[in-house]
Amino acid sequence: MNLKVLLAGTSLAIAGSVASAQELVIWHDLGDNGIKWFDEVGAEFQKTHPGVTVKSVSFPTDQWYGKSIAALNTNTAPSLLYNNYERVIRVVDQTGKVMDLSDVYAGMSDTSFLSDADLNVARYNGNMIILPVQRVQMGFGARKSWLDAVGEEFPETWADVQRVSAKFISEDPDGNGKDDTFGLALEAANPRDLIHMLDLYTFGAGLRHSLIDGDGEIVIDEPRHKQVLVEFMKTFTDYGYVSPDTVTHSFPEMYQVIEGGRAGMFRVGDWNVKKWDGADVLNGDFVIGEWPQHFDDVENAVVIGGMRGVAVPENAQNKDMAVEFAKFLLSVEAQKASLNNVGAAVRGDFELEGLSDRRLVFAQPSHNLNAYDFPESVHSYYPELEADFHRELLEALVNPPSDWGSYIDDLAGKMRAKRDSLK
Amino acid sequence: MKANAPYENGVARRWLGDNATFYLFAAPFAALTIVMGLWPIALSIQTSFTESYTALSPAPNYIGLVNYVEVFNDPAFVKSAWLTLRYTVLAVVLNLLIALFYAMFLSSALLGRGAWIFKLCCFLPVVTPDVAGYIVWKWMYSGDFGAVNAALTALGLPEFGGVSSVSTATIAILIAEMWYHVGFYVVIFLANFAMLDRSLDEAARLDRAGFWRKFWKVTLPQLRPAITINSIYALIQFLKTFTVVVVITKGGPGTATNFVSYYAYRQFDQAQYGTATAMATILFSVIMVLAFALYWFNQRRDWR
Repeated sequence: MNLKVLLAGTSLAIAGSVASAQELVIWHDLGDNGIKWFDEVGAEFQKTHPGVTVKSVSFPTDQWYGKSIAALNTNTAPSLLYNNYERVIRVVDQTGKVMDLSDVYAGMSDTSFLSDADLNVARYNGNMIILPVQRVQMGFGARKSWLDAVGEEFPETWADVQRVSAKFISEDPDGNGKDDTFGLALEAANPRDLIHMLDLYTFGAGLRHSLIDGDGEIVIDEPRHKQVLVEFMKTFTDYGYVSPDTVTHSFPEMYQVIEGGRAGMFRVGDWNVKKWDGADVLNGDFVIGEWPQHFDDVENAVVIGGMRGVAVPENAQNKDMAVEFAKFLLSVEAQKASLNNVGAAVRGDFELEGLSDRRLVFAQPSHNLNAYDFPESVHSYYPELEADFHRELLEALVNPPSDWGSYIDDLAGKMRAKRDSLK
Repeated sequence: MKANAPYENGVARRWLGDNATFYLFAAPFAALTIVMGLWPIALSIQTSFTESYTALSPAPNYIGLVNYVEVFNDPAFVKSAWLTLRYTVLAVVLNLLIALFYAMFLSSALLGRGAWIFKLCCFLPVVTPDVAGYIVWKWMYSGDFGAVNAALTALGLPEFGGVSSVSTATIAILIAEMWYHVGFYVVIFLANFAMLDRSLDEAARLDRAGFWRKFWKVTLPQLRPAITINSIYALIQFLKTFTVVVVITKGGPGTATNFVSYYAYRQFDQAQYGTATAMATILFSVIMVLAFALYWFNQRRDWR
C-alpha cells in the first residue's frame, strides 16, 4: 500500500514537473554580451517562474535574418526574436508571422518610462511588432591620448574634424615613429555598411532624412543634405581621412582599425563602450560626444539609430510564457542587467552604480538626440530604392567624379526615376 | 561458382539479373548520392520558381519564370555575370599555363633529388585551409601595412593598388587564387608527364626537332588527358569563385569583384530566396554547358 502511494506520488510529481518545465529560446545578434544578459535575466525570471529556462542564441546579423525568416515560415520558430526594429520589420514583411503586441502592452501597468518616440519605433502597419527594450545610441568618439598628442580638444564641428584628421595622419599621434595612422575609421564594403555611416553623418548633423522624406520626396539634392553627402563622400576620396582599404572594410575590419589603434576618430555605439573601457582594448582612452556640427543653425546630436526590442512569433514555442518573458525584459532587474551587459536600456529610473563617464554618456544622456526616420516603415519600396542608392554611392567611391555637386544632382534624378518605377 | 550464387533463385536475381550483388553493394552509395547530391540541387531549382516571401513556407507560391526575368533585367546581375566570365577565362588560362610550365620544370631531370622541395612548396597551399590563406593575402595586400607594398617600396617600385583599387582588385584575387589552386593542376600534369612515351621524344630528337616543335607536336598531344581534366576542373572552380571574394573583397571595391556566386549569396542573405536560387540555377546551367562543351572539344580535337 505504502509502495503504491509512493509510486503514485512520484509519478504525479514527475508529471507535474514535466508539465511546467518550459524552455524559452531567444535568437539575437548581441554576441557574448547579449548571451550574458539573457542568462542573467533568465535566472531572475526563473525565481518567479520555476521550471522555465531561458536559452539565448546569438547569430551574426546577416544570418539572423535568414534563419529567423526561414524558421517562421517553416513553423520552427524560436520562442522570441530580439533585434533592431527595422530588422524585425523585414521579418514581418517576409513572413507575416510576428505577433501584434498592442494588447500585451496595453495590459502592462509600468510603462511610463517609454516615450511616444520609443513607441513609434515599435509599430509597423498599425501593429506593435516589438516591445522596446534598448535604445540604440551612437556617438562620435576620439582617442583622448591622440588629441592630447596633437594639442586638440574633442572636435565639435566638421571643420574641427578635418583639422584633427590632418594632424592624426601627419603628426604620429601614437608616437610609434611610423606613418601608420588615419583620421577616421569608417566602413564601405557593403551597401548596408555604407548607409549606416551616411546615416550617422546625416542624422548627427541634425538633418531628418538621408534619402527620402515622409512624403516620398528625394532630399539628397537639397542644399544641406547635398553638403553633408558631399563631405561624406570626400572623406573616403578627395580628403583621404580613412585608410584606403576602407572600401573593402565591413564591421569586423572597421573594429580592427579602431581597436588596433590605426584611426583616431570613430563611431561609438552604446554597446561598444564596456568592451573599449577594457584594459586590453582601448583602456578607456576615448572621449564620446555628439556627431560633428555642419551648420551653425542646426544642432548636431548623438544619433538614436533605432530601438532594439523583443518580438514574439505567431508560431512561437511556448508562446504564452514567451510573452511573459518579453514583458519581464522591461522590469527594473532586466533593464539593470541590460545596462550592465549590453550598455543600453529604455528605463533609467534606478540607481546607476559603477559606470564609467563614457557609459554614462549613453545611460544618462544629456546631449542632443536625433533619431533615424525609418523610411522603410512608411514606404514599402524603400529597401529596393536604398539598395540602388548605395550601389551608386559605392561605385562613386571607387570611381570618384570630378564634380561632386553635379554627380549628386544626377543621382537625385536617378533616384526619383527609380522611386517612380517602384511606386 | 558465381559470385551472386545466394541470389540464384531469389527475387533479387529475377529483378537485377547477374549483377545483383554489385547493385546491392552500390545501392547505399547511390541513395546517398541522390539524397546528398541531387536532391538539394533539385530543391534549389524548385525554389527558383517560387516567390521569395513564400519560398520556405509549407505551401510556396509558384510564379513560373518571374524570378528569372527579374534576374536578367537586373543590371547588377548582368554586370556580375560579365565579370565572372571575364575572370574565369583569365583564371583558367593563367592557372593552366603556369601549372603546365611548372610541371615541365619539376619533371626536368636537371632538378635531380631537389625536385621534392619544389613539389612540396607548390602543393602546400592546396592543403592549407583556404580561408586562412586568403586572410593572410588580405593582410599582405593592405594599403596600410601590407607586405606587398612594403616590398615594392623597398625596391623603389610604385605601390600596388591591391584589393582597394578597382583596376587591380581582380588581378589581386587572381594571384591569391593561383597561389591556392596551381599546385593541384601541377600534380595532375606531373602524373601525365610520368606517363609520356619517351620513345616519341627520342624519335623527335633524332629528327632534330627544336624544343618548341617537340613541345607542340610530341609533348602537348600526349598531355591531353591532364589538360582535359584540369581545364574542366578549373572552369568549374573559377566560375564558382566565392571564398576569396568573401574573405578579401566582399564584392568590392564598388562592384569590381561582385561575381555571380557572391551576388547570389548576398541575395540569399537578404532572404531573396527566389532570385538567389534563380541566379544559382543559371550559374549551374552555364557551368554544365561549358564543362560538357570543353570536354567534347578536348575529346574531338586532333591534337597532333
